[in-house]
Amino acid sequence: MKRTLVLIFLVTMAAGLWVPGFTQAATPPDTLVVGVSSDIHLLDPAVSSDNYDWRQIYPCYDRLVKYKVVNGEGSTEVEPSAAESWQVSQDGMVWTFKIRKGIRFDDGTPLDAKAVKFSFERVLKIGKGPADNLGAIQTVDVVDDYTVKIALKNPFGPFLQTLATDAASIVNPAVMKHEKDGDLAQGWLAQNTDGSGPFRLKEWIRGERCVLEAKPDYWGGAPKLKQVVIRFMRESSDRRMALERGDIDIAEGILIDQIPALEKNPDLVVRRYPSQLVEYVYLNCQKPPLDNPLVRQALNYAVDYQGIIDYVLQGNGVQMRGPVPKGMWGHKPDVFQYHRDVEKAKELLQKAGVSKGLELTLIYSERRATWEQIATVLQSNFADIGVNLKLQLMANPTLRDKIDRGDFELCLGAWSPDYADPSMFMNFWFDSNNWGLPGNRSFYKNEKVDSLIRRALALSDQQERIKLYNEAQDIIMADAPYIFLYQTQTIVPMRKNVKGYVYNPMLESMYNFESIYKE
Amino acid sequence: MRLLRYIGKRLLHLVPVLLGVTVLVFFISHAIPGDPARMMAGQKASREAVENLRRSMGLDRPLHEQYLRYMKGLLHGDLGRSVRSQRPVVEDLKDFFPATLELTLASMTLCLVVGLPLGILSAVRRNRPLDHASRVFSVCGVSMPVFWLGLMLLLLFYRNLQWLPGSGRLDVGLDPPASVTGLYLVDALLEGNRPVFLNALSHIILPAFCLSYVYLAVITRIVRSSMIAVMEQDYVTTARANGISEPVVILKHCLKNSLIPTVTIAGLSVGELLGGAILTETIFGWPGMGKYVVDSVNFLDFPAIMGFTLVVSLSYVLINLAVDVIYAFLNPQIRY
Repeated sequence: MKRTLVLIFLVTMAAGLWVPGFTQAATPPDTLVVGVSSDIHLLDPAVSSDNYDWRQIYPCYDRLVKYKVVNGEGSTEVEPSAAESWQVSQDGMVWTFKIRKGIRFDDGTPLDAKAVKFSFERVLKIGKGPADNLGAIQTVDVVDDYTVKIALKNPFGPFLQTLATDAASIVNPAVMKHEKDGDLAQGWLAQNTDGSGPFRLKEWIRGERCVLEAKPDYWGGAPKLKQVVIRFMRESSDRRMALERGDIDIAEGILIDQIPALEKNPDLVVRRYPSQLVEYVYLNCQKPPLDNPLVRQALNYAVDYQGIIDYVLQGNGVQMRGPVPKGMWGHKPDVFQYHRDVEKAKELLQKAGVSKGLELTLIYSERRATWEQIATVLQSNFADIGVNLKLQLMANPTLRDKIDRGDFELCLGAWSPDYADPSMFMNFWFDSNNWGLPGNRSFYKNEKVDSLIRRALALSDQQERIKLYNEAQDIIMADAPYIFLYQTQTIVPMRKNVKGYVYNPMLESMYNFESIYKE
Repeated sequence: MRLLRYIGKRLLHLVPVLLGVTVLVFFISHAIPGDPARMMAGQKASREAVENLRRSMGLDRPLHEQYLRYMKGLLHGDLGRSVRSQRPVVEDLKDFFPATLELTLASMTLCLVVGLPLGILSAVRRNRPLDHASRVFSVCGVSMPVFWLGLMLLLLFYRNLQWLPGSGRLDVGLDPPASVTGLYLVDALLEGNRPVFLNALSHIILPAFCLSYVYLAVITRIVRSSMIAVMEQDYVTTARANGISEPVVILKHCLKNSLIPTVTIAGLSVGELLGGAILTETIFGWPGMGKYVVDSVNFLDFPAIMGFTLVVSLSYVLINLAVDVIYAFLNPQIRY
């Protein structure tokens, strides 16, 4: 009896470990199932500042402009969408958009100038995070049913780009019938969608899944899929197993160490794209001895950039060159780049007069899986130049609070742009009016840089702007307010039969569901 | 009658307990450094946007004023609005609590159905192979990390053997049953929906086993040791001397008297489980309270944290009361 039991147990275990899982396409061909790591919170484009929410919001609405797809690849340039054409006044202050006729919301209300005015004014009135993206707008006026005129507070170079962001989604004005206590229908739109986009929300079971249903009569052409199911699966291994079994078609956010195994699976394809997400270290320029540029330069020279990319990221990244990442216009390919040079770093510290026993503290959170390892590498790199780096792990809200108040010496951070414009880096990171969480997290101040980047932001001529930004970048690299670590790669493992996927670095975590299909 | 009076008195005690809980949790959670308005507005939001939000959320008011406002709402049955989801917290709890409750009930059932007989058998066959096997089983349960066990279960039964489904409460293609209790198994039965019932059942097996294993191990050991203690009592020897058959001695005379510690542990376990089992929920994609509250803490969603704590404290107190009442049934010497 005992022997039989042992035998059964062993056979079961062996079967479990050695019988390869037979793969099956469990998801129907007209349904795309995406496994994602995080639940969503709300669906109102005027309220959400979270890419994970935008994943669902974006395909349910139209915007005046959209990002171009060039040769099957996403680009950072925009082209007409709900707007047919536009004109801008010479001083760049007034933009007039002609709206495409024939676009309707689900209840038949036309998408017209009134809808655009309503949507933009709603975002500004609500005044939450997304309002910053449309912050340049002074007034929105209806010229006629299909013409809308937008006047800006001041000339703003990236204005057109901001109209492709989630914040600029055009909402059906009829949504106001759901308004409660003057909330501009925030309560209702948090849980529902009312746009003219290719999809609409069909079902949302919190913590479990969200289903988007395709609109066969979408003005831009019927999507090839019937529906998209977003499954919330927090654990990376869980998403990996589901992808391998064919229970999901795309798995988001798989940990780097699990990627090589997926690459070997003949039913899957692992796509990699250079993203605009960068990771860097804030050096608090207001805290001695970091207020001395020589010390900041020394720290920049101490870091083993390639080592971090090769071993921690397993090759999935490239060292940043200057603050504007590769792939974004305004990137300066010949700007000075720091590399590991221990002797030079020691020399600089000596010159700064802080060579003996310097002790610094790096704070970081667990927001990204690699940060713990990177912090350890930095600690050992700094030890090589005689700097003792103390590591302090903390909860994300606490970390954010410390950053906002400037209560830190060094801090690990990540940043991705909301719209395709170098100002998302240059103005956010270096303008001394932006100290703290909004962007200038190293509390850096250089009047020359302030003046250059503010001038660049107000211009609409791209060449002029590049010139100004280039000049600022040279000063910044010498001032070294940050340690620019690397630009990451977005890795998207999917089933082989998923076609038509286009990655756009401006739409991190957002998908072109309208043109994806399954073979 | 006395028992009813006792229950009434205990229920009255609930008021100061819950009041204490609100004070403690409100002030402790507000002491976490961080700014919920900033979390809500997004990292890159300008100071004006954050200020606007802070005002509209009432976070610019003094703390005691915020507390009083919260309590005023609470007395009207209003748990406030979640910062993250912008929905009333009650709605959020209605979505997440049933999933946790269902998983807890399934785990506890498994614990008792397997743990009790195993504990009894181990006691009866003390130091024989079955007892040793049960000891090994229990030690594994107590010492195996839950996340590891969960992943191994998924790897074996979901990925490789393909006997059971992976994460979630239902397959993607199935719609949940109409919500009466929020427990899919019960609702599917009420609806008479066999496919959904079976599917929900197959989904709950792995997480329920994973979650129950630790408690199962503890309960097995507790039953065993209290059975052994009882079996050595004089009255058991007397019963045997009177010629009462062994099964009757064990099940009637010993078991009932050895159940008190088991009921205590089971009660505490249920209370603990209702707070959500974050690791199990994470691994099995189970949309329960554990995940909800961890997200809320990370987001400084104060109303959600408060609502969660109140529900869990209430369940805890009620379960303890139930345990005390069960004592009286198990041991007539206990009087209230």
